[in-house]
Amino acid sequence: MTLVIAEQRGGVLNPATWETLAAAQQMNAPVTAAVVGARVQDTAAELAAADVAEVLAVEHEALEPYTPDGFVAALAQVVEATGPERVLFPHTYQTRDHAPALAARLGRVLIPDCIGSKDRDGQRVFVRPMFQGKFVADVLPEGPAPHFASFQIGAYRADACVRGAAAATVREVAVQLDAAAIRQRPEAPFKEAKQAVDLTQAERIVAVGRGIKGQEHLPLAQELAKVLDAELAASRPICDSGWLPMDRQIGSSGQTVAPKLYLAVGISGAIQHLVGMKGARTIVAVNKDADAPIFEVADYGIVGDLFEVVPAIVAALDGD
Amino acid sequence: MERETLDVDVLVVGGGPAGLAAAYRLARLNAEQGGEPLMVAVLEKARAAGAHMLSGAVLDPSALTDLMPDWKSRGAPLDVPVRDDRIYFLTARRALPFPVTPPPLRNHGHYVVSLNRLAKWLAEQVEAAGVDVFTGFAGTELLYEGDRVVGVRTGDRGLDRHGERKGTFEPGVDIRARVTVLADGVRGNLTKTLIRRFGLDAGRSPQSYAIGIKELWDVDPDRLPAGSVIHTMGHPLRHEEFGGGFIYALPEGRLSVGFVAGLDYRDPLFDPHVAFQRFKRHPLVSNLLAGGQMVRYGAKALPEGGWHALPRCHADGALIAGDAAGFLNSMRLKGIHLAMRSGMHAADAAFRAVREGDVSGARLSEYARLVEEGPIRRELYPVRNVHQSFAGGLLAGLLYSGMSLVTGGWWFRDPMPSHAGHERTRTVKRYFGGGVPPEPPGVPIDRALTFDRLTNVHYSGTRHDEDQPSHLLVADTDICRTRCIEEYANPCTRFCPANVYEIVDADAGAGKRLQINASNCVHCKTCDIMDPYQIIDWVPPEGGGGPSYEGM
Repeated sequence: MTLVIAEQRGGVLNPATWETLAAAQQMNAPVTAAVVGARVQDTAAELAAADVAEVLAVEHEALEPYTPDGFVAALAQVVEATGPERVLFPHTYQTRDHAPALAARLGRVLIPDCIGSKDRDGQRVFVRPMFQGKFVADVLPEGPAPHFASFQIGAYRADACVRGAAAATVREVAVQLDAAAIRQRPEAPFKEAKQAVDLTQAERIVAVGRGIKGQEHLPLAQELAKVLDAELAASRPICDSGWLPMDRQIGSSGQTVAPKLYLAVGISGAIQHLVGMKGARTIVAVNKDADAPIFEVADYGIVGDLFEVVPAIVAALDGD
Repeated sequence: MERETLDVDVLVVGGGPAGLAAAYRLARLNAEQGGEPLMVAVLEKARAAGAHMLSGAVLDPSALTDLMPDWKSRGAPLDVPVRDDRIYFLTARRALPFPVTPPPLRNHGHYVVSLNRLAKWLAEQVEAAGVDVFTGFAGTELLYEGDRVVGVRTGDRGLDRHGERKGTFEPGVDIRARVTVLADGVRGNLTKTLIRRFGLDAGRSPQSYAIGIKELWDVDPDRLPAGSVIHTMGHPLRHEEFGGGFIYALPEGRLSVGFVAGLDYRDPLFDPHVAFQRFKRHPLVSNLLAGGQMVRYGAKALPEGGWHALPRCHADGALIAGDAAGFLNSMRLKGIHLAMRSGMHAADAAFRAVREGDVSGARLSEYARLVEEGPIRRELYPVRNVHQSFAGGLLAGLLYSGMSLVTGGWWFRDPMPSHAGHERTRTVKRYFGGGVPPEPPGVPIDRALTFDRLTNVHYSGTRHDEDQPSHLLVADTDICRTRCIEEYANPCTRFCPANVYEIVDADAGAGKRLQINASNCVHCKTCDIMDPYQIIDWVPPEGGGGPSYEGM
């Protein structure tokens, strides 16, 4: 059995959970999903739409708000009670926070940030990138089950998660937690930057590069992002010049994203940028240089002046 | 915020072959001589030991054997003995083999190595011998008491690009030492300030440099047997340019392919990175690389001036070793063994000076005596004018080099006169005699055999925190967009092998401006050396930043 740990916050399911369920469904073993928190009945019901054997609703007052100690204690009990072959997580910040501690608590291996998995002679091998995506390594977990692994966001498609013919059963799982043993007391969440943006969650991204020429032309890209309901991002030179904040930078020194649509405007496609966005499902590039490497990864390419092409796209979409 | 301090007896700045050899020697002296052991520490700016080390490299193991006779049983990464030496003179299409390999280039008994692996292993030996190696810390300034060097201050961490403190700010540490051994590498930032402050290069020939650019390739293992060593002269360089190519074969089809170009070229439009790409397109090289994969990239300057360009290497409380001083034999294309040997001598001098409680420059001048009386002078003095003779062109250089094997390096004027390389670069107008300069020889970039700089940088594994002050200080960027653009056509955009310098359109159509992509920097130091106005100052970025060489 493969146990997938869903992530929810305030009753809202993190969509990366569907991607991890998709990964689990391809492993030729029954899948069970578990969702952890103080009140998770709604998210558990939402998860039950997936083609899974059952959904475990793990509720306890001490699990809200999130603390690594609370989650490690609860998940350790769930894992011990259900005895899965493997436990999978979406590779979110929260997973990075508690999954290593959980694996260590149970004395099991954790293979983080995977992008795939395969069966090799009956053994489950996990695939993960190394050296900034230059290489991929096949990793065979050793030691007794369960093995822990987390999946990079965007490695699987959320809509690849197979839905069940009927809703799966939701089973409540009781856990024993001692609130006094939780050593962390979270403060109210805050975002450091005023408009901090999590580009990894964006479904559509419009990214601008040096072809935009000057900060005064940025509204053009902003307009395009608006009509597409997309987030605005940029290549390094734009953020380096301070035209956009650094949290909008895509690439090896910025964020790695995998949206459904990535529209690269005036980006030549240096490899440092490509490693941050090549996982996007559909890549559209606008560049006046037909030899620009961005066209090697683009699904659709427009060779042309962005100052003509972008307004035309905006006009076409606005007319809808 | 309180600045922390740490007191040691001997501080070694730089975890390369010179610094690590010095540290290891000090640990051995502690063990052999008994008494209260000296406390020794090594500072290294790379995040991991060896990560900023790059060389060809063919190693003459003589110094290592003297430092550590049991290197073999300790698992030194000297796996591949040189089996075959070849030299070619390249024309645009052909490769003419030299009938005999000249004695200085015979590598029997030497090893094809990865310097970065060697340094990593050496750092392990040093740590096992009880010396602290602090990786991820760069020395940013020398500490003085009066005119005596008393240690090094490391760089602050957690400053943003405007120099303001971020939440993670931590002030640098003062490491106070009775003797500081500067082994901070070619054009070391601390050595540079020490030489200036005390005029340690007075009466010496100016140091000359070259830039080495290198890639590692994985090719069909049957192409070239491991241990093969190939050097080339000629194409794509012209008679007036110094340098050449190299191909060293490691096991399992891995080739170390590189190109060295003298940083004393006259043509302001010369581009070492393009020269390297053209070298790879020569049939001799492209046939070896065909179907293979480039897996790593890097670049580093190297000191070529030799004996006459060595500065005085001792001052009150300080010694200079390795490439920082210029201990490199450009006739044999080797410096690692001399770097190690100089580190060992520096360790001997420092050890005795600390034990006797006298760390004055006069007492530390024992280092100069050891260099004079030992194998370093024996090797460097006879070839003292070789590099300088190439200023007259390839043919003059070859003739003189051949002759020096017989004459012991004698010349009518000794030292043979020479100039700092950057002074030899001519203005576009002067070099091309007015008029429009011809289009320089370009090279098609196919990202299979040839690469643009930016793609190459990716393969150096270079990382810097983007939000930190630029570590390339350009004193006056107005010169770049007004004078330099006219006079030299911004040679920084060509001699930098990592796309750090770009001339871009200024905002609102106000002409051009210099764009510094400091986070691309591979720490080769070429800009500090070669800028014609000498207004670029390379200072260390936040500790840990820089390339991440593996197997280089």
